Amino acid sequence: MARGKVAALVAAVALLAAGCGSAGTPADPAPVGDVQAPLPAGVGGADTHGGGAADNNCDTRSLAPNGSIPSGSTMDRIRDRGRLIAGVDQTNFLFGFLNPASGNLEGFDIEIVKQIAASIFGRWEGHIQWVAIPSSAREQVLKDYQVDIVVRTYSITCSRMKDVAFSAPYYQAGQAVLAPKSSGVRGMQDLGGRKVCAATNSTSLATISTAPSRPIPVSVNNWSDCLLLIQQGQVDAISTDDVILAGMARQDPNLEVVGEPFTREFYGVGIPLGQDDMVRFVNAVLENIRNGNAWQNTYKYWIEPALGPASPPAVSYR
Amino acid sequence: MTATATRPAVPGGPGGGFPESAPPDNAPRSGLAGLLELPGAAVRGVVRSARTTPGRLTVIVIGLIVLALVTGVVATVTLQSRKNTINDLIDHREPLAAASQEVYRSLSDADATAASAFLAIGVEPPSLRQRYDTDIARAGVALAKAASDSAGVAEAAAQVEILSRQLPVYTGLVETARANKRQGFPVGSSYLREASDLMRSTILPAAEDLYRIDTDRLAEEQDDASGVPWVVAVLVLALLAALIATQVYLTRRTNRVLNVGLVIATAATALALLWGAVAVTVQSVLVDSGNDDGSHQVDVLVRARIAALQARANETLTLVARGDGGTYEQDWNELTPQVTGLLNEARGFATGDVAREVQGAADSAERWLVIHQDIHAKDVEGDYAEAVKLAVDSSVPGGAATTFANLDDALVAAIEHGRQAFLDDTRAGDRALTLLAPGFAVLAVVAAGGATMGIRDRLREYR
Repeated sequence: MARGKVAALVAAVALLAAGCGSAGTPADPAPVGDVQAPLPAGVGGADTHGGGAADNNCDTRSLAPNGSIPSGSTMDRIRDRGRLIAGVDQTNFLFGFLNPASGNLEGFDIEIVKQIAASIFGRWEGHIQWVAIPSSAREQVLKDYQVDIVVRTYSITCSRMKDVAFSAPYYQAGQAVLAPKSSGVRGMQDLGGRKVCAATNSTSLATISTAPSRPIPVSVNNWSDCLLLIQQGQVDAISTDDVILAGMARQDPNLEVVGEPFTREFYGVGIPLGQDDMVRFVNAVLENIRNGNAWQNTYKYWIEPALGPASPPAVSYR
Repeated sequence: MTATATRPAVPGGPGGGFPESAPPDNAPRSGLAGLLELPGAAVRGVVRSARTTPGRLTVIVIGLIVLALVTGVVATVTLQSRKNTINDLIDHREPLAAASQEVYRSLSDADATAASAFLAIGVEPPSLRQRYDTDIARAGVALAKAASDSAGVAEAAAQVEILSRQLPVYTGLVETARANKRQGFPVGSSYLREASDLMRSTILPAAEDLYRIDTDRLAEEQDDASGVPWVVAVLVLALLAALIATQVYLTRRTNRVLNVGLVIATAATALALLWGAVAVTVQSVLVDSGNDDGSHQVDVLVRARIAALQARANETLTLVARGDGGTYEQDWNELTPQVTGLLNEARGFATGDVAREVQGAADSAERWLVIHQDIHAKDVEGDYAEAVKLAVDSSVPGGAATTFANLDDALVAAIEHGRQAFLDDTRAGDRALTLLAPGFAVLAVVAAGGATMGIRDRLREYR
């Protein structure tokens, strides 16, 4: 008993002595602190200008088709130039992407451009200049006449119609959510306070910002930057049109599209404001695509394996 | 030792209680006080003895011996440290500056090469893959070398830390880009651009800072090694003047023209002065020329090479981005005047082989600018496939890939010449100081001995 007390006393004194004459703590050999994964260029939050708000309180119908090319028309000038300048995406698997194996652009949107070029020149080969543009630049390149058309999963909205003209719709999509299979996320309702990615100046970003569950929007320049961020664990989900998400899910089997589409997006061809002859001409080309086999063939090749069978959207004109 | 120590006070003890008395006046003073008195006593003694001629001679000879020995010690230490500085330039400073140059260069090259490899259709060419792998390996090894010396310099250590942290992250992103590209997934280009963005916004600025710090340290040390050693010069001249003055004094006093001891001392000092002046001048000129023809020239050429590499990365990334690459083209437009400006600067001072290589590099740069206009025009006009071919296919004669390789090779050769010139000149500067430090020590001892001998002879005459 006494020896136990002595031992306790010695221990207490030793502790006290150690406390008084502290030798400091060993140095941290690698003081790195918080490790932050790198970000792609141009990552931001919600849009401040709301250019892509999904408002449809106006007449979004396009002009009636007219497939003729009178001299002096926009199409005539394009024919004289020898090439159609098309703004497209090269990062959107299935719709517009660069196939690294062939070095060519491929996808549903790319086929639409080829059809328009073929209608002007007879054949598209050698008559298209592809310009890859980020989502955020779609209005600007049309306003500056840098391109003749923009075919880039471009939703027809009233706010955009103030800046650019649209053709009739050639595809109907709906916004859904892409999340890791293991995350348990079943839709936008599960994403309150979590980071959700979309492209800058897209209708999807506006929808995320106004979702009732209040997710945190993260915006990037290109859709594939969203895929990169979700793979790096820097965002919890991606929310945009189901076709874009299907393209991403094809690149990463750990991701899946969840929930039913909760918006309706109609993709149209963007044309500079005021070029009504070009709008009518493109509508005539799209009419042929929808009514002939071209639409179904292209859809079957690119989209059907991911989203199942579908038919072209119904169209009416002003 | 002290008076009090032998008689300790015992406060509170029996019989104690009376204050300690001061030591009597005739007792020896306490040690400290005595020590403080010493200089005064010595000065008084010297002044007293200097009133007689023998006393004055004794003071003179002690003064000469002290001056000679102090000069010898200061000169030997100064010159030895100067020689050490020069050796340090060759053994550490220049290799370190070269290491941080290599970090900066190989990382810039990796960025450009990864972009070129990504542009290739299908699987990337093995030559580009190998070049990238070599760049990363060289950057890693050079970084380890640069890190070994950054400990004392906080700013350099911070840059090394950034580089050590981000380099593995960068390579991870490039490999992910590569894996996705092989499967045909467009997300690969996002990874490549994220990698390049990390390289440009974080890694390369750190590498550039490290390079500047190490290059500045090299230049500073070169300045240290080529300045005039004023303290030594003043001391040697003072010793010489004192010896001559002593002889003049003795000649007046004794009417004898020559005093062998003092003549030997004077000759030794004069020899030291002459030897030292010639050796240090030659060495300074050589170290300076090691800077002018060597390290400074290398600095300009390395900066030209790095600017060219970064311009090349921008050229290829413009094509990777395909229409979305406005900022890359803008960077190209900012970088190319730097390349030509630095090459012009190098042309201004290059001579011989270096001049030939620099001329070759400038010619290639000029051709490259022309080809780039062509590539840019093709890209803008929609002939993308042809633009890519012209930019990255090394089998196209006169293409950008070949022309850029020629530019790079010429700069590599010029940089090698410059480094060799630094090494040759600085090593020769080191040789110019051979034996100078021990020589000074010996000559100082000879001067002190000569002075002693000469004045002792005179002193004997007074006994």
